[in-house]
Amino acid sequence: MHKYGLTSFLIFVCSFLVDAVAQPAAGWQETNINEVIYNAPLQIISGDHVSMHQLAAQNPLVVAFVFTRCSGICAPLIIQLKESLQFAPNIGNKKYNVLVISFDPRDSVKDMENMATRFNLQHEGNWKFAVTDSISRLISSVNFNPVWYEQTLQFDHDALLVGVNSQGFVTKKLLGLRNSKDIGLLINSINNVFSPTYRLPGQSNLFSCYNYNPKTGKNTPGLGMLFIALPAILSFSILIIIRLVSKSKSA
Amino acid sequence: MEAKGIKKNTAIWIIAVLVLFVLSIILGIIMRLNQGGAVHLDPGTFYADMTIHGITMIGIWFVAGMAGVNFIMERYVKTSYRANTFALVMTVIGVVMLWVSTLIGDFHAGWTFLYPLPFKIAWSAWATPMFLWALAVLGVGWLVWVLSLMTALLKKYSISQVFAWQHFRNKNPEVETPPFILISMISLLGVLACLIAAVVLLVLLFAEYYSHGAFVNDALLIKNLTYFFGHTIANEMLYLGLAIIYELFPEISGRPKWKTTWYVAIAWNLTLFFVLLAFFHHLYMDFVQPEGLQIVGQLASYLASLPSAGVTVFSVIVAVYRTKIKWSLSNLLFFIGIAGWVIGGVGAVIDATISNNFLLHNTLWVPAHFHSYNAMGNVLFSLGFFHWFSVEYSKRKGPERLSSLKLSFLLLGGIGFLAAFYVAGAESVPRRYSSYPVEFTSAKLLATLGAVFATVYLIAIFLFVSSIFKRCINMVLHRS
Ligand code: HEM
Repeated sequence: MHKYGLTSFLIFVCSFLVDAVAQPAAGWQETNINEVIYNAPLQIISGDHVSMHQLAAQNPLVVAFVFTRCSGICAPLIIQLKESLQFAPNIGNKKYNVLVISFDPRDSVKDMENMATRFNLQHEGNWKFAVTDSISRLISSVNFNPVWYEQTLQFDHDALLVGVNSQGFVTKKLLGLRNSKDIGLLINSINNVFSPTYRLPGQSNLFSCYNYNPKTGKNTPGLGMLFIALPAILSFSILIIIRLVSKSKSA
Repeated sequence: MEAKGIKKNTAIWIIAVLVLFVLSIILGIIMRLNQGGAVHLDPGTFYADMTIHGITMIGIWFVAGMAGVNFIMERYVKTSYRANTFALVMTVIGVVMLWVSTLIGDFHAGWTFLYPLPFKIAWSAWATPMFLWALAVLGVGWLVWVLSLMTALLKKYSISQVFAWQHFRNKNPEVETPPFILISMISLLGVLACLIAAVVLLVLLFAEYYSHGAFVNDALLIKNLTYFFGHTIANEMLYLGLAIIYELFPEISGRPKWKTTWYVAIAWNLTLFFVLLAFFHHLYMDFVQPEGLQIVGQLASYLASLPSAGVTVFSVIVAVYRTKIKWSLSNLLFFIGIAGWVIGGVGAVIDATISNNFLLHNTLWVPAHFHSYNAMGNVLFSLGFFHWFSVEYSKRKGPERLSSLKLSFLLLGGIGFLAAFYVAGAESVPRRYSSYPVEFTSAKLLATLGAVFATVYLIAIFLFVSSIFKRCINMVLHRS
């Protein structure tokens, strides 16, 4: 009897979920973690030719994806990153390089050099501006999918930072403009120091223990909490039901 | 006919448990040898070995406790032979599925199959659903068994009587609740709760698996449910063993039956409630778990274990101190088992204290304490029962030979095996490593020593098991 109950509940949950097809945006930040980033050959504005893994082996990397003709999020992304790195907590002795790479195949090394100058980063030793001839493989290895719009001559794309440790593994991905605390966690993670992380709520995640409200910044208990209490509640209820039934039968 | 059937089933349970126990110890020794560097398994094989060792050990000592409790419960109420047989059949099917999924399918996510590991397929793709369905088969069989035993008790005793509430105030109540009934009911209710937690857990995991990612689980919820199930069942199976001891220890020792007093009733009622909350101590390192639940975890760990351990130890000491006791292999095993349970319990309470857990979390201290109250605690409770049962009800009676040799090997092997875990734990050697990095200088040596002592323990178990085994086979084969 229990088995039937269980199966029908399962069918109910699954059928109801068929509609809730996984949104690529939800939980996108958690994809590719612990996977190896594509070992793209890089041309750095300093004139060096190195591969992604060689560069990561020198120092773990924060990779920022931009393009030089960008009229949107690219500049704020770099400026915010530069500022956050100055104030990020507990990263004093941590090693890292920032690799700013263009995902627009039309960008040249010269374009990237101009960009570095624009942000006054051309002489910062741990900032590397680069291009690669294997951009499509590189971006697909981190699930980054910019879309070109002919009307605006712009890419529609996310502001993405990817943390890569010195073995070439993706340790963390940050989406959007992030504060110094988040950047600190990113730097820790590429140095293989534990950095707490959790899956973002999405439409396919129905039974969270907590629901986060971005407006108030507060967590409230979610449906998941009920599931934790359920076994105890059901057990005591079953106990009472068994007793009532056996008493009425014996009467 | 029903009572005879239960007796025969009990003998079959004992045979199955003993065979699987010996096989699982051998797997345990292979793991320690690998950690010591004496043999070389690839990590996948090591973890498949660890997974099947862990889940089999938990499963067999749970059913051993249930079979013993079911057998003794027949003294008080009529139990269901059909439910017992159904559980037996489901257990055999479930165990075969588990062993196939790990040893052939190479499933190796650990006995706690912590989310999302089962879905990070690093083995044959069919092994994940087979492992989860195996748990479902076991769960259904055990749920039916537990419910049938609870029903048998509740037909005779009211809720307040079965939990001995009339003993709280009244020294000589009209209806006395035997301690065996009290502790059995408390354990069965706890088992019911953790099996329901397992059902919820499996439904959620199946939903994710069969929806191909359209539904994803909340990792915190799954971890809470996993330990609700895992931690609680590992504790309740000990209490099943203790229920048997409360009934048989005085009887075998030639002493008057133990009675339920107000403090025994209160202590076990506390256990009933708090053991359901103690699992939170497995989540101390989970930063998203609210702080309040972490504190509940620590307090519940104390309140679930200390009172019941206190009254049990007190009862045993009163029973043996300066009194003439008829010592036999069974009550000696019970006695040593209680010592092992208490020592392991102290190790567990140390680890469940938040400030200590920062140091001991996921070190070998954890297997040290749970192996103490299992390998030198609960296993001995059940072996004591198996021995008593096989001698009492078999036609092949005769003097027990080599008793002191068996006990000496058991003590030497058991203590040495556990000491190697404790020392390594205190030195922060991590648990669940297939081989140790050079930085852990003493880890390999301790692992090898652990394997040697575990082999001595295995020899003792062989010596014990062979006579029990023969007597039980005899009972199963002969009509009586
Ligand atoms: C002499 C007998 C035994 C030996 C040699 C042995 C050996 C081992 C070893 C080497 C591990 C892995 C430790 C680690 O590095 O984390 C382990 C884990 C475990 N053992 Fe035993 N063990 C024995 C008896 C038992 C008994 C009686 C139980 C009863 C419940 C048990 C239950 C477990 C469990 C639940 C795990 C954890 C598995 C996991 O983490 O997935 N063992 N054992």
